[in-house]
Amino acid sequence: MISPAFASILASGRAQFNARAVEARRRFPALDMAAFGAFLHDGVDPLVQAVSAAAPERVGGVTLAAYDMALELVGHGLAGPAAKNPFLNTVWRELAPQFAPLLATAPVDVLGMLSNAAIHLGSVAGARPAQWQAGMAAVAPQVGSVVQLRAVGQVLAWRAGVAHFRLGALAAADTLPPALALAAFGEPGAQWPQVHAQLMANPWRGNADGREFGSFSGLGGAFGTPPQVRATVDGCGFAVRSAERHYLLVADAYGAVLHSATAQEYEQATTGMPSSVRLDGATVHVGARSIALDLPAGDIALAANAHTLAITSPWTHAIRLLPLA
Amino acid sequence: MAFNLFQRLSQAPTKPKSAPVARQFDVADLYQGPIALGAEGEAQARPFDEKLRQAYFWIVNHAIISPHYDIEYNDGPSQTYSVGDSRRTLNLPSAQSYSSFILLPLLTFATRRKCLFVGGPGRGKTASALLMGVLAGSTVKEVKRAMQHGHPQMTVADLLGNPLPADLVNAQSMDDIRIAWRAWLGMRVKIVDEYNRIPTRTQSALLTVMGDNYAEVLNHIYECPEAAWYLTANDDQGGGTYQVIEALRDRVDVTVQALAFNPRFLNELLLRVEENVRPEELVPPDIIFTEGEVDQIGVAIRQVGIPDAVRRRLEFFASQFELFETAGGQFEYMTKDTARLAGADRGQAQAADNGRDRLKDLGCQTLNGISVRTLMALMIYAKAMAYFRGNGEVELEDLRQVLPFVLHNKLQPDPDAPFFALPENAAYRSDRLGWLRRLFDLSNDEFNRLDLDRDDPVGVLSAEFDLGLGGVSERETLARLNRIEKLIGERTKGRKLYGPLYDDLLKLKYLHQRYTNYRSWLRSQ
Repeated sequence: MISPAFASILASGRAQFNARAVEARRRFPALDMAAFGAFLHDGVDPLVQAVSAAAPERVGGVTLAAYDMALELVGHGLAGPAAKNPFLNTVWRELAPQFAPLLATAPVDVLGMLSNAAIHLGSVAGARPAQWQAGMAAVAPQVGSVVQLRAVGQVLAWRAGVAHFRLGALAAADTLPPALALAAFGEPGAQWPQVHAQLMANPWRGNADGREFGSFSGLGGAFGTPPQVRATVDGCGFAVRSAERHYLLVADAYGAVLHSATAQEYEQATTGMPSSVRLDGATVHVGARSIALDLPAGDIALAANAHTLAITSPWTHAIRLLPLA
Repeated sequence: MAFNLFQRLSQAPTKPKSAPVARQFDVADLYQGPIALGAEGEAQARPFDEKLRQAYFWIVNHAIISPHYDIEYNDGPSQTYSVGDSRRTLNLPSAQSYSSFILLPLLTFATRRKCLFVGGPGRGKTASALLMGVLAGSTVKEVKRAMQHGHPQMTVADLLGNPLPADLVNAQSMDDIRIAWRAWLGMRVKIVDEYNRIPTRTQSALLTVMGDNYAEVLNHIYECPEAAWYLTANDDQGGGTYQVIEALRDRVDVTVQALAFNPRFLNELLLRVEENVRPEELVPPDIIFTEGEVDQIGVAIRQVGIPDAVRRRLEFFASQFELFETAGGQFEYMTKDTARLAGADRGQAQAADNGRDRLKDLGCQTLNGISVRTLMALMIYAKAMAYFRGNGEVELEDLRQVLPFVLHNKLQPDPDAPFFALPENAAYRSDRLGWLRRLFDLSNDEFNRLDLDRDDPVGVLSAEFDLGLGGVSERETLARLNRIEKLIGERTKGRKLYGPLYDDLLKLKYLHQRYTNYRSWLRSQ
């Protein structure tokens, strides 16, 4: 059963809502009305209730916007019980109601942003949507405008593993009030200018161990054969070749993301190595640090960009990524 | 409401460019998705070619059910299948391909030319024309009211306008008579439905409007704005009530055939029936074009380049058709037009024209040549196609794709030609588009065989002349004259006369004459 508030709005605009559903069926012939009904109950009702409590006078407009958007999302197969990625349902049900005051003022923008971001995060392999949701929920009381919501979402998306957002997210964080920016980074007691400078200087800030990325595609990983790695010309990522396919790997303290690339991009990439890096058998020395690798010595390959050392071997489908600093 | 469910436009895919570009990730991608956000969509101004593509994709995806991708582009090898007893080829194009029934009317809209829809009743000809009117900013009601419906009693006054009755009685001179002009004359998209049902005299009045862009009644002139024209006909081969006058037919720039409905798409029709939906009433405002925008698109299309190599192929193709050796005693008059003007017995003249390879000679397949107007239309549409595909230059494939639609009504096949007697070519008797495409392919094969891309002595002489005569000495002029004479001697030695050779010889004669005049002038100094 849906809440009385939602039921009363649907009843009062019954003809209009029905007409919208009919129109949507034309646009999406495969629109499953049962799935749409379930999403109304599961996804739309909670936020209608939240807005009804926060700003009852705006609940009609919010419902209309949410209803239209729900039709489109279910029509695309992105929401509802049959959705391929249930994260969008979770965002509508659990996260969107926490932005009720903002929803009341700009329902299309707020719901649109949250929905698109949920879909995007769901499509990035290696991203951690649940972490993004938790981060957004934590800062929700401090977000006072759509502009702030936009920026804080971008910062938290980066922190949730979308590594290639790093520079854009840092620029977005600069537009936030310092307290909100620091809250987004979970460092409320720090000074924003210092944090910003450190993040700019060191992509591996807060993660000295680096990370391992990729595994055999037959076991759900990314690579069909053990990958070969080169540093990209811009010095920020790695060009990877595996099973005649090419990729661009972007990694930092928060995550590693693989994009498709071309053979030319791989050919353009470099194999140079900073003098501070030295391989001795199965031990790699980075400055004063020595890291023993659990790999057979002899065929280990190294590639380094400005901040990161990538280690590969014909004996593994994974790439070890170590901070150079 | 900012959120518009049914009029959202797809991100029109454009032809991808192969050059690798530097990677730049945009954090705003986080919010790119199926949900349109109000402020963003409006902030980004789209280039007009993108808007045109969005209009195309909206029409094919939502408005007109035309799943016939007969304008095929390939990017690398494509999958092909031989089907049926006739072993016809089903091709799965490897690049973005288009439906001619939608694309060519849209290019007509962008270039403000004239498009004829042909095909059986109820295949969407009028609906398609109606959509073009809506794209120009008129309401459905306005377009419908302004549409001219051809009927056997249609008078010139019905078409253009009436003198005001009171003025007719009181006027002392023609100038005093005011004319109530028909509203359609001022439309930017003009639609004439079933134009082959209009009486011949009224067709002549229509010809003036179509050809010269003005209407005349009782010495009063109405200057029409630049417009795109759409005409429809169920049967353009004489099945209308009246024979279409040739000059009117010649004004049509492109002919598009409404193909049969594929019953596999009946569910789309069913939905429209059940929901009582009319696509023309749901055209998204984002794809409505202002007059200024169409002006700018027209300018941009004209600026699209045609490379020399492509132009040469068109020249070579067009050269094939006009020659008719037995029609004229003088070299310049050996054309099909000479025979046509004289009303000569074509069969007799053809019988005398022996010795050539009548299968190989493409000119033997047609009854006429290609007019200047047709060639201009061909180049305009090739440019429009390149523009639509986001390119700054016409590719040979652009020309190949638009050519059949432009020549559809212009190049008349000779059904008695030996080419059509071959069993494998029998289908080309009825499939004129397929025949024209085949004709162009055969012409290109011959162009390749002659290696004209690399070895074109007439082209070299022509380019030399195009540099100008300023400062060219008498000695050099004589050398060039000798080269021309030598080349003519080589080209005519023991060879049959084919269309391209005929045009080459005429070009060489022209160059010879220009150099001869120049030499005379030099000597008089």
